[in-house]
Amino acid sequence: MSAPGFESPGQARLAVRCGGIDFKNPVLTASGTFGYGKEFDSLMALPALGGMVTKGISPKPRFGNPAPRICETAAGMLNSIGLENVGVEGFASSKLPFLRACGTKVLVNFFGTTFDEYVSCGEQLSQLDGVDGLEMNVSCPNIKAGGIEFGREARVLGDLVRACRAVTRKPLWVKLTPNTSDIVALARACAENGADAVSVINTITGMAIDAQTRKPRLATVLGGLSGPAIKPIALRMVYQIHRSGLGIPISGIGGIQTGLDAVEFLLAGASTVQVGTQNFIDPASAERIGREIDDYCRQHSVSDVSELIGALELPP
Amino acid sequence: MLRGDWGRDPLLPRPISLLSVAPDGRADLLARGVGRGTRLLEAAQPGDRVAVLGPLGSSFPDPEPETIDLLVAGGVGLPPLFMQAEHAAKRGLIDRCELIYGGRSARDLVLLAEMRALGVNLHLATEDGSVGRRGRVTLSLEARLDHHLSSARFSRLRIMACGPQGMLWAVARIAEAVNRECYLSLEAHMACGIGVCLGCATPVHDSRPYRYACCDGPVFLASTLVIPPTSDPPPRSAG
Repeated sequence: MSAPGFESPGQARLAVRCGGIDFKNPVLTASGTFGYGKEFDSLMALPALGGMVTKGISPKPRFGNPAPRICETAAGMLNSIGLENVGVEGFASSKLPFLRACGTKVLVNFFGTTFDEYVSCGEQLSQLDGVDGLEMNVSCPNIKAGGIEFGREARVLGDLVRACRAVTRKPLWVKLTPNTSDIVALARACAENGADAVSVINTITGMAIDAQTRKPRLATVLGGLSGPAIKPIALRMVYQIHRSGLGIPISGIGGIQTGLDAVEFLLAGASTVQVGTQNFIDPASAERIGREIDDYCRQHSVSDVSELIGALELPP
Repeated sequence: MLRGDWGRDPLLPRPISLLSVAPDGRADLLARGVGRGTRLLEAAQPGDRVAVLGPLGSSFPDPEPETIDLLVAGGVGLPPLFMQAEHAAKRGLIDRCELIYGGRSARDLVLLAEMRALGVNLHLATEDGSVGRRGRVTLSLEARLDHHLSSARFSRLRIMACGPQGMLWAVARIAEAVNRECYLSLEAHMACGIGVCLGCATPVHDSRPYRYACCDGPVFLASTLVIPPTSDPPPRSAG
């Protein structure tokens, strides 16, 4: 048996191109659920991944929020980590050397707390050798605009994407927030301002309360919901963006636990998928999901996984 | 980290301490069915499949010939201290440690015969007085510290504890008052167990504000931890 992405006669071609990057298979790991890659090195074969997206990087290191930072919910979890990370310099010196040799494509997720921080962070990261692409996290609160997420308003998002586009030649992806009434408008703002792909979706804002103590279960009260509970919403958003005809490639994220979950996202219109919360439950799951996509293709006589992208059959 | 074949809900694996590991690699765990995950574990049948990622994290320091180790266990916090006592027994150092084990009531205290079989000097405490000394386990700890105060080895006495958070903070304050080295095994909400989800942030006195219970701990030197000021009522009297 060969690793996913390795072609041999009778096997499906799993390689895909998405957002300016060629991947050996469509399975990536999502930002914030896969550390800086090295944490998983002894638990799975990293070269079996299509790619990985690092923890979100900001210009300076951040220490994150007080505990409790996570809380389990029905078929999901809430988190409020606070974008803790080692900062651009720490990333370049202590994390990137390993990633350069890890055998898979590396996208670096990044963010700022101001417009200028986004631009400077994107610019610095785009100069680093070993970074195959950038993914903008636009779910960060805009401190100067009262803490509203940068990515919630199409006009602000479009300005931010355009500014970051101007400072990098690397593939630029934008991870959209689902906390919006019009996901297509956000995707359009990205497409019209030069983004190469959109990652859909980031976590959905939620909360949990302990009735016994009358207290919120997270120290910051609100957090981001992830896991299988959000899959139908993520699928719907991928589908809507794909159907809108914008033509921007989509990386689908939200509750993917199995190869069949991943195939559903491809059918809805995603070109790649990102495995997130499931990495916590089973650290080798992204590798397994790649194998299961391969199994699906063989069972359904799909010779090239790209045939599945947007191949949803709608009722007449 | 441990998870049964129980579908999507509850979603996350459970951080559970090892109680004992046999030479053939078979491991014993001790859990109380308090939440949904532990109740599912409690209902597990022989032959059920359980996914395990581990062992993970740090352990208590090795027993040494020249030390006195006071092992303080509160309720279901027993496993790492039981394992420590077993470790000491295997190294012929069981007389160098004492196990102080407390719970609300006699029915909360388990594995007493196994502990006696190890030959460990065992001090029991229950809040209702149904077995052992009446009162919290920290009262018994203070009594044992008084007992050892005049010993020549007192300067090499160490305290190791696992149990409810309030108990751990109380143990740390007692250790600080007598200026003895103290190690705490912490419990925290976590999703991954390998330093990735960053859910189990634990405040520390350091150049950075947090360490992680999963990979930097769960055992921490108490003096490195930010221990909140006491809000507990004074310990009830032994009478």
